[in-house]
Amino acid sequence: MLFKAIYLLPLLPAIGVLINGLLGKRFGEKTVAFVACTSVGLSLILAIGILHQMLIASPAERVITSSLYRWISDGSLQINVGFLIDPLAIAMIMVILFVGFIIHFYSIGYMEGEPGYRRFFVHLNLFIFFMLILVMGDNLILTFVGWEGVGLCSYLLIGHWYEKKSASDAGRKAFVVNRVGDFGFMLGIFLVIVTFNTVNFVELKTILAGNHGIPTVTLAIISLLLFTGAVGKSAQFPLHVWLPDAMEGPTPVSALIHAATMVNAGVYFMCRIFPFLQQSQFVLPIIALVGMITAVYAACCAVGQKDIKKVLAYSTISQIGYMFMAVGCGIYVAGMFHLVAHGIFKGLLFLGSGAVIHAVKGEQDIVNMGGLIKTIPVTAITFLIGLLALAGIFPMVGFFSKDAIIMGGYETYGIVYWLFGFGGAILTALYCGKLFGMAFLGESNFTGHVHKPNFFFKAPLVILAVCAVFLGILGIPMFTKNTYFAQFMGSSFNLGAGGHAAAGHGIPLSLEIAFTLILSVFAIAAIVLALFMYSKHRKTMVDFESRHKGLMMFLLKGFWIDKLYDTIWVRPLKWISFYSDSVCDHRIVDGAVNGTGKIAMEVGKTLSRMQTGYVRYYAVSIVFGVFVLVGITMMFLF
Amino acid sequence: MGFYHFLSLGIILFAIGVVGFVIRNNTIVLLLSVELMLNSVNLIFVAFSRYLYGTEGQIYVFIIMTIAAAEVAVGLAIVVSIYRLFGTLDISKIKLLKG
Repeated sequence: MLFKAIYLLPLLPAIGVLINGLLGKRFGEKTVAFVACTSVGLSLILAIGILHQMLIASPAERVITSSLYRWISDGSLQINVGFLIDPLAIAMIMVILFVGFIIHFYSIGYMEGEPGYRRFFVHLNLFIFFMLILVMGDNLILTFVGWEGVGLCSYLLIGHWYEKKSASDAGRKAFVVNRVGDFGFMLGIFLVIVTFNTVNFVELKTILAGNHGIPTVTLAIISLLLFTGAVGKSAQFPLHVWLPDAMEGPTPVSALIHAATMVNAGVYFMCRIFPFLQQSQFVLPIIALVGMITAVYAACCAVGQKDIKKVLAYSTISQIGYMFMAVGCGIYVAGMFHLVAHGIFKGLLFLGSGAVIHAVKGEQDIVNMGGLIKTIPVTAITFLIGLLALAGIFPMVGFFSKDAIIMGGYETYGIVYWLFGFGGAILTALYCGKLFGMAFLGESNFTGHVHKPNFFFKAPLVILAVCAVFLGILGIPMFTKNTYFAQFMGSSFNLGAGGHAAAGHGIPLSLEIAFTLILSVFAIAAIVLALFMYSKHRKTMVDFESRHKGLMMFLLKGFWIDKLYDTIWVRPLKWISFYSDSVCDHRIVDGAVNGTGKIAMEVGKTLSRMQTGYVRYYAVSIVFGVFVLVGITMMFLF
Repeated sequence: MGFYHFLSLGIILFAIGVVGFVIRNNTIVLLLSVELMLNSVNLIFVAFSRYLYGTEGQIYVFIIMTIAAAEVAVGLAIVVSIYRLFGTLDISKIKLLKG
């Protein structure tokens, strides 16, 4: 019965948008918050119901489709507005709604008294709506609608404080960089339509599972084009530049959109189109490579960041890099598991950072914090749990999810891959330690009264922290491909008899355990070292950093990639725009338009001299005209 | 007295009307010139009607006479309001239409 009502999932947040957006002008803050939270909360309850129904159904029956109406009809190409929920989708939906609901709740306190309170909640609800459309859409086109919708909401919410120049600039940057990826995405969709004459995921999967005879190259091009879209949305290496800037938005937005849900859409989408990836051989290594570069690169940058939110932003980029590594290895389940885990602990970390920023009155530079564990212990402890999960320390959820990715990579691509994953994990542990040490331990560098977080801050932090600790259960039994999570998700990634996901050659259990132990020991050592150095010997570290200014700036500015793009893309584009404006527009276009007017004016002026105003001239001209006309007529008649 | 005499008289009258309209300054005289032209045309209509054995020309003459009467009424009214507006009837001094 619940399966028939899945359209309610996106509908409820949409109703919230309508109520708050159209009728909410006179609502007080409490009413607005109540409407927004209720709409998402009801969706969440429904989603839990669907999840429960799915869990008790047999694996083969865990796919729900529901077609609402025919949307586009062009010959044999039929595009419906329809929804598809399978274990893959429900996992994502649970993250969206669960984290989304908690962040809605958190925002009640965080945004209190802000101008634009209603606008904020309307955009937040709209985001949930589009995100659900993205995830639930049963065809590429509908997914694309959601894809663009979340992009729009991201733009609106990054620029929530639009009076601030940096915020509106960051929103624009996010939008423009995403255009690059979305262009590839659209080309991919077109190619799918041309090749398959359908955009429905289920039909595509069926075609690809059978004997289709479509050249591998075509499939590879489709995969790469769609992957470009994912790279843009998920802030992967060449197109990652927008995410650190996106931290200009309010912190709940960073938590919801730029950590837990939207930026993971790329990973989700890659999992959704896995049959394409599976059948185009050289695409998976490319994805793995991009993920690997991003994971290590962003982790390096995160070490050098000073802004608490930017550390987390780079860490998000890096963690999504890990997810793409998983996708690139064909272990989609591990990628999705890390996505879920990351959604929880990164949401927790961002909410924690929001609580910290709120506590120290808008200060975001970790250099100016310190010793906060004494004043805001709940925030500190939950934050620590989040960081441990991020660093992959046992028994947090991150330990299970990251280990699965790194080991799966070793299985598929060998030791080099493992080393990169290992390096990234060590760097992650380092910046986690640094962040906690700088902000919460040591001596306080913050002068002034520290705000205590209230209930609206504490409750979400505690709930997410509990999840971060216990969600690791899903990753049990470890070292097998048959974890609880995989048992649930597995049926999503079966491609008939043709290609089975994760076709690794298998490695001995003892080796796997050894590798995991090595990784854990090193990660713990790194985090403890960083904690120790940045709390007890903070002076040394600060001196060290100031002695290596060049290196620190290099890391802080993300390897100067922004500057590079500024030189090779932005400046030439600006120059071309300037040229178009000053020469093409002002001289050529305006010249033609104004010239036409001028010519008409001149002609009119000349001719108007014939209008003397004397009646007799008009009379003479009439007579003369008659003579001419009669003369001409006679000439032709006789 | 033949057809050409009537025709010649009509043309001469019409020419006098045109020249009068063009060279005179007094608005009332202009109105008179217009009437002269109308009536010269009437004369030519009648002449043609007589010599071509048709009645259509005579019909037109009556229509033109009716219209001329109406036109004179309107024309004189205009003359009166011109005088009120400009304080003169000298048409060479009135040139509001100058471009």
